[in-house]
Order: sequence, then structure tokens, then C-alpha cells
Amino acid sequence: MLINNDLKTLDLTVGDVFSQNPRLKARNVSVFYGDNKAIDNVTIDIGNKEVISFIGPSGCGKSTFLRCFNRMNDTIDSCAVKGEITIDDENIYDKKIDVVPLRARIGMVFQKPNPFPKSIYDNVAYGPRIHGLSENKEHLDGIVEESLKRAGLWEEVIDRLDSPGTGLSGGQQQRLCIARAIAVSPEVILMDEPCSALDPIATAKIEELIHELGNDYSIVIVTHSMQQAARVSKKTAYFHLGKLIEVGRTKDIFTRPQHHQTEAYISGKIG
Amino acid sequence: MNNKIISPSDALDIVKKSIVKRRSRDNRLKLFGRIAIGVAVCFLLTLFYSIFTKGYPGFFQYYVTLDIKFDRERIDPKGDLSDNSLFDGEASIIVNESLYSIIQPKGRKEKKLAKKIVSSGKDVRIAKMVKNNPSLFGTTTSVKFALDDDVDSFLRGYLKRETPENERRISDKAIQFIDKLNEEGRISYEFSDYILGGSASGNAEMAGIKGAFIGSMLTLSVCLLIAFPLGVATAVYLEEIAKKNRITEFIEVNINNLAAVPSVVFGIMGLAIFISIFGMPRSIPLVGGMVLALMTLPTIIISSRAAIRAVPPSVRDAAYGIGASKIQVIFHHVIPLAMPGMLTGTIIGMAQALGETAPLLMIGMVAFIVDVPNSVLDPGTVLPVQIFMWADFAERMFIQKTSAAIIVLLGFLISMNALAVYLRKKLERRW
Amino acid sequence: MFSFYILVGILLISFVFFFLGKNQAKKVAYTNKKKLHSLIHYYGLYSLLSSLIPTLGIFFAITICDDLLFAELIKKYIPDEVVNSKDYNFTIVLAQINNSVEGLIFGTPPEWVANAAAIWKSWVLKSNTITVAVCTITIFIFGFFSLKKIQYEFRSRNAVEKIVTSILAVSSMIAILTTIAIIFSVVFESIRFFALIPYDEFLFGTIWNPQFEGADRAGSGQEGLSQYGAIPLFAGTFLISIIALCVSVPVGLFSAIYLSEYATSKERAFFKPLLEILAGIPTVVYGFFAALTVAPFLRSSGSIFGLNVASESALAAGLVMGIMIIPFISSLSDDVINAVPQSLRDAGYGLGSTKNETVMKIVLPAALPGVVASIILAVSRAVGETMIVVMAAGLAANLTANPLEAVTTVTSQIVTILVGDQEFESAKTLSAFALALTLIIITLAMNFYALHIVKKYREQYE
Repeated sequence: MLINNDLKTLDLTVGDVFSQNPRLKARNVSVFYGDNKAIDNVTIDIGNKEVISFIGPSGCGKSTFLRCFNRMNDTIDSCAVKGEITIDDENIYDKKIDVVPLRARIGMVFQKPNPFPKSIYDNVAYGPRIHGLSENKEHLDGIVEESLKRAGLWEEVIDRLDSPGTGLSGGQQQRLCIARAIAVSPEVILMDEPCSALDPIATAKIEELIHELGNDYSIVIVTHSMQQAARVSKKTAYFHLGKLIEVGRTKDIFTRPQHHQTEAYISGKIG
Repeated sequence: MNNKIISPSDALDIVKKSIVKRRSRDNRLKLFGRIAIGVAVCFLLTLFYSIFTKGYPGFFQYYVTLDIKFDRERIDPKGDLSDNSLFDGEASIIVNESLYSIIQPKGRKEKKLAKKIVSSGKDVRIAKMVKNNPSLFGTTTSVKFALDDDVDSFLRGYLKRETPENERRISDKAIQFIDKLNEEGRISYEFSDYILGGSASGNAEMAGIKGAFIGSMLTLSVCLLIAFPLGVATAVYLEEIAKKNRITEFIEVNINNLAAVPSVVFGIMGLAIFISIFGMPRSIPLVGGMVLALMTLPTIIISSRAAIRAVPPSVRDAAYGIGASKIQVIFHHVIPLAMPGMLTGTIIGMAQALGETAPLLMIGMVAFIVDVPNSVLDPGTVLPVQIFMWADFAERMFIQKTSAAIIVLLGFLISMNALAVYLRKKLERRW
Repeated sequence: MFSFYILVGILLISFVFFFLGKNQAKKVAYTNKKKLHSLIHYYGLYSLLSSLIPTLGIFFAITICDDLLFAELIKKYIPDEVVNSKDYNFTIVLAQINNSVEGLIFGTPPEWVANAAAIWKSWVLKSNTITVAVCTITIFIFGFFSLKKIQYEFRSRNAVEKIVTSILAVSSMIAILTTIAIIFSVVFESIRFFALIPYDEFLFGTIWNPQFEGADRAGSGQEGLSQYGAIPLFAGTFLISIIALCVSVPVGLFSAIYLSEYATSKERAFFKPLLEILAGIPTVVYGFFAALTVAPFLRSSGSIFGLNVASESALAAGLVMGIMIIPFISSLSDDVINAVPQSLRDAGYGLGSTKNETVMKIVLPAALPGVVASIILAVSRAVGETMIVVMAAGLAANLTANPLEAVTTVTSQIVTILVGDQEFESAKTLSAFALALTLIIITLAMNFYALHIVKKYREQYE
């Protein structure tokens, strides 16, 4: 066991920070809100077609870091990102990069389901339409159907594609948002506590879905619940006060954490 | 896995191709937005520029300086400085004599022409001077008189020498006289003492806004005295005392409707009810104030309600906890805390009322009233109505004075709104 | 003057009762040797209010009624020849008598006027005496009665608070009273108008020419001289409003989009208030600007292109009205656009939308009901606007779709007809009330509809 004074000397992340075949590479990323440092020098790889969870106590910066990957932090004026995040060896924060194709490649599902006040069909069709992904109406219909099927929602809404997306239940709305993200053919899907606003049954459905989607997409999921991380992801990263403390196989993190802070969180002493 | 959904790499290619067009559309929207704001700002600037360039000269006038012999027997024959005596006196003749001595007109026609050069208010000016300062009698003093508005326009360059005489408003001989006066250095361009000190007049050079201004102040005072207490009382009742039932809903619907009714209709109501049925005199600030009060009431009620709602319940709870009654809570705690918001709303309402014209036209405040009203029961007019009436006169000087009056009106509106903004910022509480 | 003295007297006496009430309370406390329920000043207040309010009520009732009463009764003293004469106008006669009463005599008035004035004066004297007597009796009765009530058990503060509550409640009725007054004045006179002119002529007639009064309408061989078809007025109002919308909707909407979605906070802090200034400028100033700057400009630029623009054109008035309405659309739309939750925008951006796409395909459609409502409200304002059209558009009722011609509007006619001497019996004056009724109905209908739209679609994301 490491004692308290040794904390300061230990600045490095413990565990399997790097992957064999990374989709996304984050190197020395720090995020500032004004003068306030929310993320401190984080380096991590997001592997290809695998599910990785970000866990940690509230306010430790997991969501902030997640939003760096698709540059959603750009919408916040006071936010500044330092460091590098690369996809296919291109730094996404490079000034020459247009953020629009990036966000088509890296999709996002938000904490509170946010379907557009449009029909179910239009919700899913929105992305393909603006990007011009479909050649004709039939093609678009096909994309919508396939996306809804992959999100596990098709059977439930097949006869009411024209009804408003906001008329669905919470769990269905979230699956609609997942379908919407899938429709633009992303490679990575970021999920920011996707189940925190849902009831247990809806949560279970979505967790099952995430598990399946991990076969086709690289998924990063931020979660408050260690049990959820254990259920859906092979890999887990533990964050604390803006620093990445430990990364490893989910089983190992929960049974044999290497860092004492990880251990403290797992056993409920903090967070 | 079927082939309906595009593979990510294909999708990426499609998106990258479409980007340029989409970005240009984005920039276009931004540009349209900027153009729209630019257009609106342009309108605003054009409006202000037009008013100010027309109105600034309206604050100035041309004057002629003449040496006047203040001969008591001739000016004040009865010797008591009474209006009657001064009316019978020969003040105009003395002024004319002084004028003739400089420009030396020959014959009756020329003398008549010469007389018209100086504004017809010359005797009034002399009368005012001797009343204020009887020690002037027996002296010969220089006095500045306003020039007739055609002469004034000529001096400003609007009536040109080059125009043939029969198309000009001013004759060749008159121009000769004016040149003579100019040679002697007797003509000067000064800040007008008429625009702010004079009242309505058919003669442009003597026209001023004093009467209308005082009328506006009187009317606004009546409006404030009626609308503020009633508005606050209604807001307090609806927010704090009344239960949510059909009647209160009905009152609220009424208030919202009244806020939407065009202002002319309030004037019509004033005409039919206050003037026809109650038989009140037309054109008095009291009636005008009553009409404006009813018109401003919805604004004051709505903003006062918002101010009252902003007072947190914890304040009320604390007061009730000590044992205060509902009325005491309202009057000792809620109203003082909501007062800044209520005042701001009232000031804004008053600013709107100051600029209102149509309802006051309906109740007759459009008569030609020369005297300054002394009380809310004397006939009077208000500044916007005065502007409306003057706008019909084509003389250049009237256009300038009308614009000058608009500048005064806008000045007051800006100050009132600035006061409201200042109060709002200063008294803003962070609960 | 007399009224003023009476009011002062009433106030003074009620103040006396304030002190009497306080004293009474002190006495009661002393005799009972215990503390009273309320603070001493509440007892004084109770006496003051009890004596003051009924007396004021009676005073105002008498003052208002006696003028009306005298006006009715004086009719008996107007000689028949005068009543039956051609230009008989009661309002003018009444004014004559009033002038004589006040001593404003120009030349020698006819004898009957002097007589009537003398009689009126005697009535006033009688009425004054009665007022003094009644008010004195009332105030003392209520005053002493209130003193009697001040006993030990009397909860004065509650009584005072009840009175205050009633005063507040009555004040709130003012809104209803105003509405009733408006409806009453407009509807009543409109009914009298429609007794003279049939509905369908008013609503569907295409000639508006109320100039020729005095000629009988039918059966005198001079039919149709005076006509009250309001269609040209509706058309004029409509034309000017359309022109105003053509200016204000694009400018207002795009400004709102830019300010809420693209502008930096500095830009927004600067330009938003600037646009609001447009709303604060009095309409008479706009009218002046329209008549003296815009109209001549349009006329001269028109002649360059060979177009004949009237000196008072619908275009001039419509343009300036459009400028005035810009803030209605931009401010309201801005509020509505801002109210769209950020989560929807985030969803859009997350999918890779450009700002343009997010705004036009997500935010605006979500905000559309509010935007439409703001446009309707702006139209309603345009329809009810008076000064700009009076000063810049024409007065001749002209049924046309050409914006370069002069037209007149409903509001403009109302002003023209009612400014100046009116005879409340003639169809001409009454037509103004009918026009006002139409105006009220249209503007209120539009406001209701706008509110309805907002309410109906509010459920969408709440």
C-alpha cells in the first residue's frame, strides 16, 4: 500500500494506457474553463471496436474529457483545450480540420434524451439528409430502417414512423437518439451517462444494446455506476480530479486495482 | 450486416465533398444576419441624422439689433404698466422709427415693407422688458428683435437672390434693406429665445414649445398620479391577495387585452365617456392625463407583478413567522423590496405616454392655444401634438423648429429611459 | 374652487377623527387596564377611514350627477325657436350657457342665454349648499359611529386591513371598468351608426365618401351623395401593413437569428438595445420623418426612373411603419429562439451540423410558433398605428394595390373625422365609431390568435 506522502510523486497513470490498434489517441490533453483546470495532462488510447468506460467521482472531469473527442467543447466559450487528440494520425484540434466531418465520424449520445421535435423518421433521417448520404428516398428509407434496427427500436415504431419522436417513452427516446447517431455511419460513439435519466428496465435494454454495438463501433461510455461499467465494457479508465489514475481490463480494475485511489473509489471510501 | 447503411469510410468521403457548399451556406446566413442588423442601424442613423440636421438650426434665429428710446409717455401712457396701457402705447411705432432711421425707406409702400422685416412680436417684447425692468424708461438701449421668418430663411440661404422676384417670397427692396442692416453689423445669429420660451404662434419666428412642454408635464403628472397607485394596487391585489378564481382570471384577461388595444381607441373612449357623458372640458391636461393613465395602466400592472413575483417567498415566510398579518407583510416587506422594479416599469410607461399623440388628438388637445396652461384645468396641448400640428406648416423655419421640438422630446425620452436603466442596474438585488 | 374647499374640509375633519379615535382607544385601554388587540394608530386609522371614505363617495357622486342633471333640466329653458332651428346643436348651446355662467361674455348674448345662465347659477348655489350639508352630516355620523365601535374587544387592525383589502380589490376592477367603458362607448355609437347605414354597405361598399352631410340619404332625389363603404379603408390598411411586413420580417428575423446564434456577447450587448431604440421613438416622429424625408425622397427617386410616386404614398408610410415594427419581430423572435433548449442544438452539432443547418432545420422549426406569433403581433400593431399614416399616407379613400399611390387607412379616417367639431348625431361622426369597432375586433382577434398559437405548440418540448 502506498502512503499519503507518496501521492505527490506519483504523476503517472497506471495500467494499459495504450492499445494495439487505437482508433483515437489522446496525448497530454488538458482542458481549462477560464483559469480552472478541469482535465490535467491525460494520455489514453481508445481501441478499435471495443467498449471502454470512464468512471470516477462526480466532477472529476469525465464528461469534459469525453466531449473533447468530438470537439463539443467548442460550443462553450470559456473552454480551452491543450494537447493533441488524433484520429488516423490527424490532430483533430488542428486549425485546418473542419469539425463537421469529425462529428459525423464520432457520434454522441447525451445524458438526457434529446430527440428533435420532429417525427421519428425525420429524427433519424436528419443526419443522412444534411450530409447528403442517401441517393434517393428509397436509400434514405433503408438507412432509417437499418439504424432503428441496430438501435433495437424498429419493431416498436414500425407503424408510427411519422409520429413525433418526443412522444416516446424515456428509454425509447434514448434508443432513438442512438439510432440517429448510427444513421451517419460513425466509427466511434461517445455516450455521456446515457442511462442516468432512465428507469432500470430501460437501462437494462440499453446496456444490452451497448454490448452488441461494441462489435461494430468503438464506444466510450461515461458512467457513474461501477456495476454498469462492469456489465457493458471490457476496459475501464478511472478518473479523479481531472487526472487519469488507472486504465485496465474492467475485471481487473474491480478486483485487483493497482492504484490506491482506484481502490478507494471501488470500495466506496470516496465518490 | 446489409448494404443499406454506408460504410464509415464512404460516408467520410461524401461528407468531405459536401463540406464546402455547406460552409458557404453557413457564411451566407451569417452575412444576411449582419446585413439585416446593418440595415436596421442604417435606418436608425438616417432618422436621427435627418432630425438633427433639420433641428439643430431650429434652436437658433436671426436677430436685428435696434436702438430703442424708452420714452415713458409713449410706451406706457397711463403710467401704470398695465396691459391696457401698454396695448394703447406706441411701442411698435418706436421700434419702427428706429428701424427707419437706419434703412430710410421712402414712401408708404417701402415703409410697409420695412415694417414687416422685424417680427410682429416687437411690441410684446418691449412690453415684457419694461414690466421686468421699469428703470429702462428714459434710457436708449439696444434691443435684439427677431426677424420675420421669410427674412430669416433668406439669411440662411433658402430663399435665394438669384430667383426672379416674382417667384420669391421676399422682394428686392426688402433684400436691399436687409443688406443695409447687415452692413451696419446689426444682424446676428443667436440662440433663439423663442423656441424654448415661446408658445404656439402662427408666426414661425415667434413659435416655441414652452406651452406644449408645460402641458406635457401637467398631463404626465396627472397620468402618473392616477396610474401609479392604481397600477401598484392592482398588481398587489392580483399577486398577493386574490385567490385564483374566475374573477381574477377575468381581470387578467382584461389587462392583457387592454395592453393590445390601439391607443386611438383609448382616445375615443375618453371622448365618449369623459367629454360627452361626464361633460368635462376638452383639451385640458386633466382629461388627457386620465386617458393616458388608463392606457399606461396595463404596462405598470404587468411590470409591477413581475417585480412582486421576484421577491422570494423566504422574505414573506420570515415576516409571517414573526406574526405579521398579510397586509403588514405586503406593505412593510414586499412593496419596498419590489419598488425598484415597479419604479422602472412606471418610468418606462411614462416615457411611452410622453410620446403619445393619437389619443390626445381624440380628446381635443389639438387646438391652437397660445397661453401657457397654469393648471390641469386650463386648456393646453402636449409636445407630440404640437409637433403634429407644426408638421403641416410648410415654412422652412417651421420645419426647423418642429425638428428642434422633436430633439427636445427625444432628449426627454432618452433621459427617462436612461434613468430607468440606471435604476434597474443600481437597485438590482441578487437574492 | 368650491369643490376644492369642500375636499380640504372633508380631509381635515377626517384627520380630527383620527385623533379622536386614538384618544378613544387610549381611554378604553386605561379603563380596562389591559393592552388592546391592535396598536393605537390602527384605531385612529379606523376612524379616519370610516369617516372619510363614505363621505368622499357621496361627494363625488353628487358632483358628477349634478352636472348631468342640470344639463337635462336646462333643456326646458331653451326657447322652442332655437331648438327647432336648422343648426341646433345642444353641445354648443350648453357651452354658450356655461360661458355665460363663468362670466366669459363676448358681445351681448341673447336674452334666453342670460336667463338660462342665471337659473343655472341658482341651481349651482342650491347644489353647493346641499353638498355641504350632506357631507357634513355623513362625515359626522360615520365618524361618531366609528368611535362608538372602539371598545375593548374591537380588533381595529383587522377592520382597517379589511378596508385596505377592499380598496385594493376595487382598484383592480379598474381594468374591467376600462374595458366596459371602451366597449360601451364604441358599441353604443356603432349601433346608432348601423341604424343609419346598413351593415353590408359598410362592410362591402367600395366608396368611402362621408363629406356630404345634410343631404337626405334616400327619397330626396340626392341619394348616394354620402357613402360609407369601408373596403378602400381596409385595403389601404392592408396594403400599408404588407409593405411594412416586407421590410420588418426579413430584417427582424435575420437580426434575431444573428443575435441569438452568431453574435458574440459584446455584439449582442451592443446591437440588441440599439434595435430596441427603434421601438421607443414616438410615432409622431416617425410620421414627421416619413412625410418630410422619406416621401420627398421616394418622389424624386421615382421620377428618375420615370415612375409617378404620389407625394403621400402608401410606400412611404409602409416603409417607415416597417422600420418601427422591426424591434417587435426581432425582440420577440430573439426571445423565442433563445428559449429553444440548448440540448437540441447540442444534438444537432453532435451529428455534424453546421450552424446554419442547426438554426434553419432544428432551432427555427422548433421556435416557429413563437416567431409566427410575433409576426401576428407586429401586424396587429401596424393595423392600429395612427400617426405615421395620418402624416404620411393620404386622406383620400383610394382602392388600389399600387403602393406608389396615396391611400388612407381605418385609423387615419378615425382621426380625420373626430378631430374638429363633431355632431354626435350625424352618420359621419358615428362612422368613426364603427371604424373603431372594426379596429378593436381585428386587433383583439389577432392577439388572441397569436396567444393561441403559442399555447398550442408549447407542449411540444415541455
